[in-house]
Amino acid sequence: MQYRCIKKEEWDKTLEQLLLSYTIFGSVRNEFGIDYELISPEDIPRISYNTPKPVTSLKSFFLPVRENCTSEKVYEKPMIILGIPNCDIEGLCLLDEIYLDSEFSDIHYRKRRENTLLIASDCTSIQEHCHCLSYNIHPYSSVNADIAAINFDGTIVLRVITVKGEEFVRKIPAAITPENDSILSLVESAHEATEALLSAADYGLPDVKASGKRVIESGTAIWEKYSSRCVSCGACVSICPTCSCFLLIDKPGFEKVKQMDGCQYPGFERVAGGEDALYELHNRFKNRYLCKYVWKSMKFGSIACTGCGRCIEACIGHINKNEILRELDAKKVNVE
Amino acid sequence: MSNNKNIYKPVRALLTDVITESPLIKTFVLEPETNFSFETGQFIELSVDGIGEAPFTPSSSPLVTENLEVTVMKTGYVTEYMHHLKPGVLMGIRGPYGRGYPVRNFFGKEVLILGGGCGLAPIRSLLYALEDIKDKLIKVILCYGSKTPTDCIYKPLFARLNHTEKFEAHLTVDKPDEGWKGSVGVATTLLNSISINIKSSIAVVCGPPVMMKFGTIRLLEMGYNEDQIYLSMEKNMSCGLGKCGHCMMGEFFVCRDGPVFTYDEIKHNPEIWK
Repeated sequence: MQYRCIKKEEWDKTLEQLLLSYTIFGSVRNEFGIDYELISPEDIPRISYNTPKPVTSLKSFFLPVRENCTSEKVYEKPMIILGIPNCDIEGLCLLDEIYLDSEFSDIHYRKRRENTLLIASDCTSIQEHCHCLSYNIHPYSSVNADIAAINFDGTIVLRVITVKGEEFVRKIPAAITPENDSILSLVESAHEATEALLSAADYGLPDVKASGKRVIESGTAIWEKYSSRCVSCGACVSICPTCSCFLLIDKPGFEKVKQMDGCQYPGFERVAGGEDALYELHNRFKNRYLCKYVWKSMKFGSIACTGCGRCIEACIGHINKNEILRELDAKKVNVE
Repeated sequence: MSNNKNIYKPVRALLTDVITESPLIKTFVLEPETNFSFETGQFIELSVDGIGEAPFTPSSSPLVTENLEVTVMKTGYVTEYMHHLKPGVLMGIRGPYGRGYPVRNFFGKEVLILGGGCGLAPIRSLLYALEDIKDKLIKVILCYGSKTPTDCIYKPLFARLNHTEKFEAHLTVDKPDEGWKGSVGVATTLLNSISINIKSSIAVVCGPPVMMKFGTIRLLEMGYNEDQIYLSMEKNMSCGLGKCGHCMMGEFFVCRDGPVFTYDEIKHNPEIWK
């Protein structure tokens, strides 16, 4: 793994220069919390490093809520997204599996991915519902982002991860190889400290394999109990970094509009004859857990939950999925 | 990452004929702007311009590439519109998608086909494919049930099959009318009177969910193994590409992993008959 260091002032100047040729979105703290914002030169000092997840998940850059998917699109400027937590990077990897498969690659998703440089950041703190480590996802990127940028006392440490990231960093002369390992030791210590926080917060949550097994073995009682507080608003699927189901809507001229959809909405699986395998609310509710913890794991080798905790925060019925998984794990559920 | 094809864009196809098969079922003959080939049992996404798109398994021979036929029951929003279409209209086709019938696995076998209602549409395509390879098959038996004699589609098909070497076709109706002289009862009742060597046989079931369920149960009772029974599953295959999620049936995308499955592959999923 290569590292480069650059003074924060130099890095900010570099970003200002980059704004001439790139569209930059960065993680920014505002009065409502942290979220991705379009960066203009005056926003550069506001960019947040080392912070946990923004409110919006990374998928929104690659899967717009609604778009004409049959039309031609022009991508004028390449894009940089800066300050991405690793949970979102890992979520994007699952979307890549679905949208970039070798037989049917989604051209708009692919062009956006090719057009974007992903600059992650390490989390040096956690939020109330962060639990990435429960699913073996580290709070720092070392595999799937292009670069990770970490702020240490006025120095930006750049972890160069991909070839694309390496080519990008090569064009920044002020980013130099660190003289000794001292700053890298600080980075490693920060990783350990964050993981310690996550380990403490995650106590009692079943691991990846156990979660899937518990969901399969569960009867209907627990799903009826928790779904009694669900109003099928779909907030959980909208905000989830890995939920990526959509609807195709036909428009004149054989054009199609692709609109994000979710299995929590009534009628999701209804067929023309009227049969609907997910007609009952508790079945729809359970379906999301089966999809995330069992089916996606069977199909793609990894579960479809990154432990970001957004669904817990977004739920107006105060349904905490971790409570359900803990209850299942404690075998408090009667298997019917 | 070099394929620049837009997977959501349909190709145009001219509707050249509309054949009324029953009060609720019509066959649409389509001439795609480029030759179109499919494997029997695969499906297409057929769109009515500006109205909607729905999945259908072609009912025509997979050996014909200049045109294809799709037999459609009036049952929902898109099919209601389709039933009003007249020849000359341009429609949109995407596909073919999914895994069809593995006809090579049928070589040297007796093929039992159990169908109901509009399920005869994909079966007709399969029968065309099997007629083409009949030298490699021992025999083919079709058992088909429709609600009433009027609802029975492709009537001439039965007479033709019964005059084709190695083929036999049986027909039954749930509710006979005054002129009906044939069998009465659901499709599975026909299984009581056929002669078949189950050990060297495979069974294909295609029809409404309730018929698929009881058909499969009956075949298992007769002694078929779970991997000898092929089911053509009907789910909400919206994109056909394994992406939109609407047709997920357990770990399977019916549009990519199916629509044809052996019962053995999907039996663990309680959702299959819903």
